[in-house]
Amino acid sequence: MARHNLGTVISFEVTRTFKKKQFWLTTLLVPVILGIVIALIVISNTTTSSKVDSQKDATLRFTYSDASGRIDPTLATAFGGTVVADEAQAIADVKSGRSAAHFAYPAKPTKQATMVYGADLGIFDNGKYSSVATQLMVASAQAEIGDQTLTGLARGSFQVDAITYKDGAVSGGFLGAVAPLLFLLIFYVVIVMLGNQMLTSTLEEKESRVTEMILTTLNPTTLITGKIVSLFIIGLVQMVVFILPVLVGYLFFRTSLSLPDFDISQLIVNPGQMVVGALLLIGGFTLFMGTLVAAGAIMPTAKEASQVFGIMMALVFVPLYAASLVVSDPHALIVQLFTFFPYSAPVTAMLRNGLGSLGPVESGIVIAELFILGGIVLRLAVQLFRYGSVEYSKKVSLRTVFARSRG
Amino acid sequence: MTSALLTPLDTLDRQARPAAGSRPDAEPLVHISNFRMDFGRSTVIRDLSFDINRGETFGFLGSNGSGKTTTIRALLGIYQATAGVLHINGRPFAPEDGARLGYLPEERGLYKKESVIDVMVYFGRLKGLRKAAAVAWSHEYLERVALGDKAKVRLDKLSGGQQQKVQLGVTIMNDPELLILDEPTKGFDPVNRKLLMDIIEDQKRAGATVLMVTHQMEEVERLCDRVVLLKNGEVEAYGTVEAVQDQYGGTVVRLQYSGEIPASVHYVVTRRESTYAELTVTAPVDEALILRELMDAGVTVRGFTAGRPSLDDIFVAVYGDQNAAGADETAGE
Ligand SMILES: Nc1ncnc2c1ncn2[C@@H]1O[C@H](COP(=O)(O)OP(=O)(O)OP(=O)(O)O)[C@@H](O)[C@H]1O
Ligand SMILES: [Mg+2]
Repeated sequence: MARHNLGTVISFEVTRTFKKKQFWLTTLLVPVILGIVIALIVISNTTTSSKVDSQKDATLRFTYSDASGRIDPTLATAFGGTVVADEAQAIADVKSGRSAAHFAYPAKPTKQATMVYGADLGIFDNGKYSSVATQLMVASAQAEIGDQTLTGLARGSFQVDAITYKDGAVSGGFLGAVAPLLFLLIFYVVIVMLGNQMLTSTLEEKESRVTEMILTTLNPTTLITGKIVSLFIIGLVQMVVFILPVLVGYLFFRTSLSLPDFDISQLIVNPGQMVVGALLLIGGFTLFMGTLVAAGAIMPTAKEASQVFGIMMALVFVPLYAASLVVSDPHALIVQLFTFFPYSAPVTAMLRNGLGSLGPVESGIVIAELFILGGIVLRLAVQLFRYGSVEYSKKVSLRTVFARSRG
Repeated sequence: MTSALLTPLDTLDRQARPAAGSRPDAEPLVHISNFRMDFGRSTVIRDLSFDINRGETFGFLGSNGSGKTTTIRALLGIYQATAGVLHINGRPFAPEDGARLGYLPEERGLYKKESVIDVMVYFGRLKGLRKAAAVAWSHEYLERVALGDKAKVRLDKLSGGQQQKVQLGVTIMNDPELLILDEPTKGFDPVNRKLLMDIIEDQKRAGATVLMVTHQMEEVERLCDRVVLLKNGEVEAYGTVEAVQDQYGGTVVRLQYSGEIPASVHYVVTRRESTYAELTVTAPVDEALILRELMDAGVTVRGFTAGRPSLDDIFVAVYGDQNAAGADETAGE
C-alpha cells in the first residue's frame, strides 16, 4: 500500500511539473542561451579563421632598422621587410600612411624593447605587428644557431608529464580531482535550482488547504519522501537538458570553440573517492531537503519561508570563501569547522574529497553525521508537516508540535 | 443517473462494507470516550464521549467554536488528543490501515493549479482505485453534478461551489464505509444543496456510516438518526433526534399575538416576529400557566399551540445565552 502510494505520489508530482509550460520555459532557457553563445562563437571563429587565411597571403610589407645586427637580411626579405637607415623618416612614413609598419630592433634586444610602429588595424589585428617582429627575430636567431632542437630547448618548448604516487597508487593531481568534484557541481545545481521548489511544494499543500485531505489519505512520510524523490528526478532531467548543448558543443565544435582537448582516459577515477562523493551528495541532499520541508511546514507563507531559504543558500556558499584555505591548509581550524558543521559539511567535504585531503576517518564521520542528521531532520520535518501544516495561518511553535507528538 | 453512481465500483472489495444492521452485536464504528483537548492553556474539549453505530447517520452539533472540527481532526489523527480514546473500527485511525474513509474537511482545498480530472484521479489512485476505474468514475460523477465539461479545466478556474462539488466527489469516490462531512452544504445554492443531500442519502442507502457537522437543523431532522450536542466542551444532549427533542421538555409554544411579550423565568423567546412568536419552555410548568402569564401581561393571544420543539428551537435554547454572555469568542466567524 505504502509503496504503491509512493509511486502514485512520484508520478503525480513529476508529471504535473513536466506538464507546466513554465517549467520548460525556465529549463530550456539555459541551454538555449548556451546554444546561442556557442553558435555565436562558432560563427565568429569561422569568419576570423578565414580572415587569417586571407591575411597569410597578403604578407605585411614593413621597413626595419637593426641596431643589434642579429636580423638575417634574407629572412627579413622573405618576411616582407625592407631595411632602412633613417629611423625617424621611417616612423614619419608610418605616421603619414606611406608605409604600413616599421620595426626598430635595438642594440641589445634582450635588455631593450623592440619598438614597432604601424597603421591602426583595430585592437584585434594590431597584435600582428608585434608577432611578425618577434617571429623575424626568432627565425634569425634560429638560423644563427643552426639547430632546430637546440632552439626549441632553449625556448623551453618541451613537455613534462608528472606521475605522483600516494600509498603506492598513482594519485590524481588536477585530473584526479575532476571526477569527484562533479558531485559538488551536482550538489550546487540541485540545491540552488530545486531548494526553492521543495519549499514551495510543501507550502502549496498548506496554502491550498489540501493537507487535511492528504493526511487522511496517505502517510505523511510517504508524501514527503515522494516529493523529495520527484524533485531529485526533476533535477536530473533539468541537468541533462543543461548538459546536452555543452556536450554537443564539445563533441562537434570543439575546435571552433577552441576548447581544450580533454583526453577522458587521462581522468583518474578513484573508486573510493567516487563512493565518498556520492554518499556526501545523497546525505547532504537529504539534510538540506529535509530542512526545507521543515521550514515549509513551519512558515505560513512563501515570503517568510524564503528567508530560511536565504540562510541555507548562504551556508552553501560560505565555504567557497575559504576555498583557498581548504586547498592550501585543510587542517586549519576554520576548515575543520566547515568540514564538520552539518550545513557547510557537504560542500567543504566534497571539495576536500575532490582534492584528496579528506582522510578516511573524516569521510566516515562526515558521512555518518550527514545521514544521521538528515534522517532526524526528515523525521522532524514529517512531524512538523503532520501537526504543523493544519495551522494554516500562523507560525507553528516547535514546542506544541513536540508536545503533541509526545502525547 | 442517480442509481448509476450508486453502483459500487467493481474494483473495490464490496464485502468489506457491512450492510447496515447486519452485525447487531458489532462494536460501534466510531468510539470516543473521555476525549479532552487543550490548546496551550485553553481547554476546548473537557470530556467528550459518544459512539457512532455502523450504518447510522449521526449529527454532530454545536455552536461556532464549540470544538466540532477539533474533535473530527483528533479522531482522524490530524490533531493529537490531550487525553481520551478516539477509535475507528476499534483502533486509532491511520490512513495506511486501509479503512475506507471519506472526509470532507471544513477547510476545503485541492491542488488548485491542476486539472479537475488529474486531481480526482490522483486521489482515486491514493485511495486504492485503479487508474481506469478512477477516470471512469470521475467522468460519471462530473456529469451528475453538471461539471461534465470541466474535467480538463484547472481547479482555480472553477467557482467556489464548483470546487466544492469536485471535492465532494473526491470524498466519496472510494465508496467509503465512514463518511465524515464537516459542514457539507456550506457555500452551496439551494439546487446544489439538494443535490448534495441526495448524494449523501445515496451513500447512506449504500450502507455508509455518516458523521455530519451542520448548522442547518432541517438537514439534521431530514437525515440524521442520532445527534450529539456539544456545549462548553461537554455533551449537552445525545441520542435519537426524538429523544433529544423530548429531553428539552418537549414543549415549544407557538403564538399568534399582538402586544409586548414579557420576560419570564418559565420560558425564553426563541423567535419573535411582529405577530408570531415561539417560546421555549424552560421550567417544568403547565402550558396553561404560560398562557395566563401572557394574558395577565396584556398580550392579546389569537393562537396558542404547544408541541415538540424543533431542533432549531433546541439549538437556540441551548446556545442562545452564549453570545450574550460573551462566552464564545469565535462565534460568528
Ligand atoms: N490549532 C489550534 N490552535 C489553537 N486553538 C485552536 C486550534 N484549532 C482550534 N482551536 C480553537 O478551538 C476552538 C474550537 O474550534 P473548532 O474549529 O473545533 O470549532 P467548531 O465547533 O468546528 O466551530 P465552527 O462551527 O465555527 O466550525 C476554537 O476556540 C478555536 O479557536
Ligand atoms: Mg468547524
